[in-house]
Amino acid sequence: MFLSAFEWLLGSPPVAFERGQIELLVPWGLFWIAAAVVGALVFFLLGYRRLGRRLGKRGRLLLGAARFAAIALVLLCLLRPQLVLSLVVPQENVVGVLLDDSRSMQIADGEEGRPRNEALLAAFPDAAAAGRGEAALGDLLREKFVTRLFRFSEETRRVTGASELGFTGARTDLLGSLTRVADELASLPVAGIVLMSDGADTVAGGREEDLDQTLLDLRTRGIRVYPVAVGRPEFDADLELGAPDVPARVLRGSLLEIRLPLRATGLAGRTARVEALDEGRIIATETVRLSGDSVETAVTLLAPAEEAGVRRLRFRVAPFPGEVLTRNNEQSVLMEVDDQPLRLLYFEGQPRWELKFLRRAVAGDPELHVACLIRTAEGKFYRVDVADAGELAGGFPDTREELFGYDGVILGSVEASFFSQDQLNMLRDFVSQRGGGLLTLGGTSAFGEGGYRDTPLAEVLPLALPEEAAAPADAGDPPVPTAFRELSVLPTRAGSLHPVARLDPDPLANTDLYRNLPPLSAVNRLGRPKPGATVLLEGLGASEEPEAVLVVQRFGRGRSASLTVQDLWVWQMDASIPLEDETHEVLSRRLLRWLASEAPRRLEVSAAPAKSLVGERVTLRARVEDERFLAVNDAFVEAEVTGPDGVISGVPLRWTGQGDGEYSGVYVPTGPGTHQVEIRAGGAGLGEESEAPRAVTLFEAGVVDDEFFDAEADPELLARIAEATGGRLFEPDEAEELLTDLSLAESGTTVVERRELWNVPAVFLLLFGLLAADWGVRHARGLP
Amino acid sequence: MSRRGILAAAFVLVTAVLFGGTLLVRDSASALQPSRRQIREMLAEAMREDLGGPRFGRPPGHDFYFTRAAYTSYGWRGWSVDYPKADRQFLIGLRRITNLDSYENENSVLLTDPDLGKYPFLYTVEVGHMAMTDDEVLALRRYLHQGGFLVVDDFWGTAEWVNFAHEMGRVLPGRPIEDISLDHPVFRAFFEVNEIVQVPNVGQGIRGGPTWERDGYHPVVRGIFDDEGRLMVLVNWNTDLGDAWEWAENPYYPLHFSNYAYAMGINFIIYAMAH
Repeated sequence: MFLSAFEWLLGSPPVAFERGQIELLVPWGLFWIAAAVVGALVFFLLGYRRLGRRLGKRGRLLLGAARFAAIALVLLCLLRPQLVLSLVVPQENVVGVLLDDSRSMQIADGEEGRPRNEALLAAFPDAAAAGRGEAALGDLLREKFVTRLFRFSEETRRVTGASELGFTGARTDLLGSLTRVADELASLPVAGIVLMSDGADTVAGGREEDLDQTLLDLRTRGIRVYPVAVGRPEFDADLELGAPDVPARVLRGSLLEIRLPLRATGLAGRTARVEALDEGRIIATETVRLSGDSVETAVTLLAPAEEAGVRRLRFRVAPFPGEVLTRNNEQSVLMEVDDQPLRLLYFEGQPRWELKFLRRAVAGDPELHVACLIRTAEGKFYRVDVADAGELAGGFPDTREELFGYDGVILGSVEASFFSQDQLNMLRDFVSQRGGGLLTLGGTSAFGEGGYRDTPLAEVLPLALPEEAAAPADAGDPPVPTAFRELSVLPTRAGSLHPVARLDPDPLANTDLYRNLPPLSAVNRLGRPKPGATVLLEGLGASEEPEAVLVVQRFGRGRSASLTVQDLWVWQMDASIPLEDETHEVLSRRLLRWLASEAPRRLEVSAAPAKSLVGERVTLRARVEDERFLAVNDAFVEAEVTGPDGVISGVPLRWTGQGDGEYSGVYVPTGPGTHQVEIRAGGAGLGEESEAPRAVTLFEAGVVDDEFFDAEADPELLARIAEATGGRLFEPDEAEELLTDLSLAESGTTVVERRELWNVPAVFLLLFGLLAADWGVRHARGLP
Repeated sequence: MSRRGILAAAFVLVTAVLFGGTLLVRDSASALQPSRRQIREMLAEAMREDLGGPRFGRPPGHDFYFTRAAYTSYGWRGWSVDYPKADRQFLIGLRRITNLDSYENENSVLLTDPDLGKYPFLYTVEVGHMAMTDDEVLALRRYLHQGGFLVVDDFWGTAEWVNFAHEMGRVLPGRPIEDISLDHPVFRAFFEVNEIVQVPNVGQGIRGGPTWERDGYHPVVRGIFDDEGRLMVLVNWNTDLGDAWEWAENPYYPLHFSNYAYAMGINFIIYAMAH
């Protein structure tokens, strides 16, 4: 409405004024005009002085201004202002038309449930359907331009008509296709590119710098992009599950922590039941109350990983009535459940009950193997649960090979001075470089009381060690450590959500569970948890301030945890604990599993993308380390890919040259299904052939359903493309306007057109208005 | 009254009192014969009064307390034999030889004490006269199933064995008491022990007489195991480790008995704290 009124008044659409230049045909007349203006001013001032008494000050000003403006307008018209435009020459310019052929175009979010592709098919009808009803965009374009049609999804291909589109593309690569079309049209006079899409890009997603670079590139080539947006930026009602955050590998019997992003629109106040399924069996459920504000929230599901092997986990929420898109209520992920036991080393500086009861707690867990070393007297060690006569025979390990063979280390009550500086450094490296887990327990010779304050291990601990920590007791001191205190242990908010401390899925019930447990005791003076550390359990004692009991943090590649109490075993032995209670066992196992389960192996492999298209390049990556967990760059690395049909193909992996120990190779799946990748590494420093590290990963081909996630139309992205390239965003029913915009191209083959501006209706109306105002005032005041 | 008259009167009086009293007792006994259980309860009550709680306040915070289990027994306080000197002398050795953070004094606990679970190691003696109440049986059963460890010492001969086996049958019904062979890790937890020695009581040890008592000629180490094969109760029969600790400082008591007793005691504790 506004646009057509503008065009009627000024003879050209706003875009013409935006792009064109306004010139005066008689610039030399300026001097005379200026002289005439000054003359007129003098004439008016003299003339109105006489009328002053009858008019008053305001009336005099009004009358003078109206008449002065009318004369100025006439004088301006005498200068013959013109709009100078550059217009394309019909049929001599090319317009590239990019049509979105991805599956998201099937989404029926239009009025009366019309799919997005309907507008596209209407704009570019088949020859047979042409000529019916309103002029289609395609026909209008063809009248004036040479059009080149392309379909695009994950790839871009030339088509002759929209009927060739099947809307089955598994991805939408907006930027890639724009670049390819621009390349293809590089040698032709291009008036612009029309991009008909919902803007739901599934490739660039979040790659800001790529987007900026591509747009800058188009702009420097002078190619304007005119997106035509289809689809709605927000569904009326929809629930979408995001990509689940699941570790690639998990130890059998572990409680798997799954973070599932969830986004709901228009479903405020409703509750959704999220189910996790392992091969059709429900393994976890969680109910969430939805807020309808389209903000992404996350559901944390804790599910047991019971069966070893490759598992396909599925997540689903039953569709709500009226949901536009139900395909995004499901997600799936592949995961490997491993049954190779974790190896941990537990070292106690003195015999303590903690060790006995921890051993008993993990005894029923086939995936945890804890070798125990107890210093029973000075220089005398007692080994329990060692794999063979040689394990730990020399006491605490003093080589990286020996220590790094473990996935986790537990340090009990042992003073720092027991270790050599090398061993302390090695322990720190064990966490930061090797990626193992370190658990430090409270005790008379632990933490500050054990003299760890100025050692490399103080860096690893998730708690600060205070300066005033008690000095190791002398023989004459009273035997009771002065910092002894009893603590009632409760989970923190973070603890109630953490797989270690969450004994009951309901946070309130979880807290009650802990409330019923007897108090534990601590003897160490400790500082605050470090920034970045998470307190899972805290204890209330005599002081009002709760103190950290179980704190965890990441340190380098590994994990560090501190259990500041010295007698977790009380939760097993206390008279108030029922015989069948498993709290101590469950907590101990979870803590040790969490501590060590993410310790990397010497050979770590991955395949990206984990969900690929058939025929798409899948990059296989491996990271190879020797027995000391130092990266190896000259290893022989080979992958064996077993397809769903059982056919095995070998893929050599080569050192990338970019990162130490990093190898990569490419495999192209030829059929759909789950592919298993087994990678072997051999060579110097990697041991005998039989012991050479092996690792397995998985990827799935032909199951990409990205198009149904984050599938709302994204006119913002399209508008950004338009703005950055100098084009404009249009709706499907703005075909005429689009054509006008395209005609005013600066690139391609153009002619210059001058449009007079003195004769547009706006000038006449303005002049008429001014004179009418003048007459009106005079008439009202009874002036001649 | 003549002297003879006084004696006669006294005789008549004493006889009458004794006779009448006997009749009275017999009357009430036939009506109110205390049951075995009541006797046990009476004994337990007497013991609780006797024990009067811990002799010394137990300061908290130590890793280890050498704890005596106080139980009910027939007629006398069997559990407290050699107590507390044996315990203290053993603790001197334990604290000097190992780096265990142990409380230096004895620590006696009733089996029914709610704090029993704080002491996962129990030592007790003279179980040949043990007569636990039902509450003690339940408490000990629970303690052993939770992971507690009991060492039994100083009882001799078949009769005492039969009583002990009966009492253990009440605590852990259906669990056999099995021989522990010398290749069991408990014999190498700290010291290497290669033979089972009969440790005599102090009198026989000093006199150099026979080492056995009653018909307990051969020393035996036996145990009761849980479902996972873990040792719960360790039984030293026909031997008296406690006396060897108690009299270790006596120059007349043979040193090799004390050495052996210390080695065994320390092994039991180190083993119990690791398994």
